[in-house]
Amino acid sequence: MADLALGSVHIPLTSIIDILLGNEAEKESWNIILLSSRLPRAIAAILAGSALAVSGLQMQTLFRNPLAGPYILGISSGAGLGVAIFIMGFSVLGISLSSSVWFANYGIVISAILGAILVLLLLMAAIAKLKDIMTVLILGIMIGSIATAFISILEYFSQEDSLKSFVLWTMGDLSSVAPDSLKMLFFIVMIGLVAAFAISKQLNAYLLGEDYAQSLGTNVNVTRYLVILVTALLAGSITAFCGPIGFVGIITPHIARMFLKSANHFYLVPLCVLLGINIMLLADIIAQLPGSDKTFPINAVTSLIGIPFIFWIIFKNKKIAALN
Amino acid sequence: MKNILSISSLSIGYDKNNVLSNINVVVDRPKLITLIGRNGQGKSTLLKTLTGLIPAMDGEIFFGEKINKDLSHKEKSKLFSVVLTSPPAINNITVKDFVAYGRYPYTNWLAVKKEEDNWQINQAMELCGITNFAATNIANLSDGERQKVALARAIAQNTPIIFLDEPTSHLDLVNQSELFDLLHQLVEKQAKTIIISSHQLNLALNYADEIWLINNGELEASTPDFFIKSGKIEALFGGLKLKYF
Repeated sequence: MADLALGSVHIPLTSIIDILLGNEAEKESWNIILLSSRLPRAIAAILAGSALAVSGLQMQTLFRNPLAGPYILGISSGAGLGVAIFIMGFSVLGISLSSSVWFANYGIVISAILGAILVLLLLMAAIAKLKDIMTVLILGIMIGSIATAFISILEYFSQEDSLKSFVLWTMGDLSSVAPDSLKMLFFIVMIGLVAAFAISKQLNAYLLGEDYAQSLGTNVNVTRYLVILVTALLAGSITAFCGPIGFVGIITPHIARMFLKSANHFYLVPLCVLLGINIMLLADIIAQLPGSDKTFPINAVTSLIGIPFIFWIIFKNKKIAALN
Repeated sequence: MKNILSISSLSIGYDKNNVLSNINVVVDRPKLITLIGRNGQGKSTLLKTLTGLIPAMDGEIFFGEKINKDLSHKEKSKLFSVVLTSPPAINNITVKDFVAYGRYPYTNWLAVKKEEDNWQINQAMELCGITNFAATNIANLSDGERQKVALARAIAQNTPIIFLDEPTSHLDLVNQSELFDLLHQLVEKQAKTIIISSHQLNLALNYADEIWLINNGELEASTPDFFIKSGKIEALFGGLKLKYF
């Protein structure tokens, strides 16, 4: 609610409730601002927060690594490369993206999804060949670096305006999600979250170590595939629609574990959803700089509020909660 | 009558390095079997191969009438439980929750425990003498206590066969003999087959119904009496004592 109330145009809280309930507002413009700008933006924040937090949790469990996050496997780099090729590659070829807004918006989403899927397929192939999950992690990081290298090359050769639109994309933007694509995003994120909760039992077993998990009837390889699929679905779709949003995915699972003092995924997954939503909404409120007419890039805000928070936790507890 | 476990011309090893070959053993009734042999002779490799954690290089393993390759993870988890030498990776969990992992093969996707599950968990903790610290975090236990918790988890899994890889290494002598006594009772009263590797020769010879002796790339199975009378155990371990003490 606070997220809806705050923005560069001041709208009284009572009017917001009126508008949400379907009544006519005092000013027509408030109606438009709220329903077509702030509400979609808040929903996008809710989806992004929950999706990134849960996919971060899954990655930390899969790799038994407290630094793992939704982007550790190079999913965002893959998506970034897709977008970079789309934005900057096309302008090199002399095709202007400004000719069609629709083409530009959907092109970014589709190319990001394609990029993320490409990385995902490479990783799936790697898991089939390699038994050791740490090797897969290193491979994921290297794939990410290669994608980043390609992006740098594209950046070097591209023109000013297309470079700027790419840099803007990397800053993350919750407001860029159109209402009809919001429905699609909602659908994808819901599938991902339900799937994440449904594999909680396997993930709990996985915490014992691979041999023990297997001796309890868990198919470890299938579990790994599922975890990566769910993460790609959640993190990939959010990255495609909102750009790469850092930090929420790494920090939220730690906060959840601190609250719960347990590594049980049946409780961790719902709590991550809840905390992720709140952190993301808070970040969005700060990003909109209440009372001013400017908006900060969301990615900068998540890092700026996220990192001091982690520092505070570490110094308060002398350490972060054990992973498993 | 069908055999509980039968192993025919089994070769085991890691990658391409053969550790033991041509293993032929049949277990026809519930027994306490102790696997003995010097370090590096393949005790752990054998246990890991039997439990399907590493593939066999050659030969067949039958559980009842089923060959192990045809069994799914789920079926295996109801047929045998395992305690390995490597400790479980998890730390942030209470003793009771850890023992409850033993019920995973039986619970639904939400891991909801039924009355039977709770009974098995409490029973297993009782048998291993860890009921007192059911609510303690396993990170705060001693190595010996943790080994008892690991055993309790395997017992809670309530499988006809239990594989234990050196479960007594961190226990003192009293606890070691208590553990062997407990295993002996499980075999007698609950008709379980327990295959345990151990360096505790005295206890193994005292409690085991059968000894599997691994030496020089061969596995020989027989009664403790046979090995004592034939002097084979002397030959394996006794010579060493004379040399060093």
